[in-house]
Amino acid sequence: MGSIAIAVAITAGLAAIAGAFGVAIVVRSTLQGITRQPEIRGPLQTVMFIGVPLVEALPIFAIVIAFLLLGNM
Amino acid sequence: MDSHFLKVDLFGIPWLTVNVPNLILTTVAMAIVFFVTFFMSRKIQMYPTGAQNALEYLVQFIKNVISSTMDWKQGKNFIMLGITIILYVFVANMMGVPFELATADHDVWWNSPTSNPVLTISLAAFIIILTHIYGLKLKGPKEYGKDYFRPAFFMAPFKVIEDLSNTLTLGMRLYANIYAKEMIMVMLVGLGASGVFWAFGAFIPLVVFQAFSVFIGSLQAFIFCMLTMVYMAHKVSEEH
Repeated sequence: MGSIAIAVAITAGLAAIAGAFGVAIVVRSTLQGITRQPEIRGPLQTVMFIGVPLVEALPIFAIVIAFLLLGNM
Repeated sequence: MDSHFLKVDLFGIPWLTVNVPNLILTTVAMAIVFFVTFFMSRKIQMYPTGAQNALEYLVQFIKNVISSTMDWKQGKNFIMLGITIILYVFVANMMGVPFELATADHDVWWNSPTSNPVLTISLAAFIIILTHIYGLKLKGPKEYGKDYFRPAFFMAPFKVIEDLSNTLTLGMRLYANIYAKEMIMVMLVGLGASGVFWAFGAFIPLVVFQAFSVFIGSLQAFIFCMLTMVYMAHKVSEEH
């Protein structure tokens, strides 16, 4: 019971950290691209909106596993 | 806290259960979308005002989303799909924002229907199936079949896995965001209900979080629509 709660906390926390860093890298690169070439803002944003979900996929899996563990409590 | 839904066996089959509140809530969401757009689009004028302006802005927005992912030659098929998806997901996300209804023994009767994984994953599965259907229809069976072996023959298993993981992530992203939103709101309400002092303490965070969940809901609706178009573009557009 207690160990599952700790496992859920660690899983969700690590997923949050990983997601934050991953998305931060993607958005930062996009911002740098936009500041260098403001005229390709639209295509860059499209690529960002494709890239952010790809990065987010694994943290989402981790959160799902946290939910599954939460159901086992 | 441990909220659950009323479940009924369909046709008396024990393993085939139906989530009754979710059925009602999705029907309500569909009705809202249908009637709002229906009555907004009644008096079409040459020089748009009010409601027609808002709808035309939405159509233009979806057009921009589609044309940023694929050619307009294929993309013109998907305007209505995009509008339907973005409106439905947006309304469904917004339904749990103002209030939530539950009986005393935690039977939920009103919340965001998208805070249920079954609903979001079946929505995502339908969209992935739809991309396959449009891939077959617009490119022809031969090109569609060849697509599995591009750029090299060993890519075929990865393409199948990609479809599965796309379904899972597309559904799970929406579910996880909206479920987390609902969970935090329920916690804040529970905090506010625990005493007079906490009621004053929890009021301002609750209002702030409601504003934030409006933002989350619209962003998730946009991302769902955007990703639908991206996956559609993978299947539909011809690569050179």
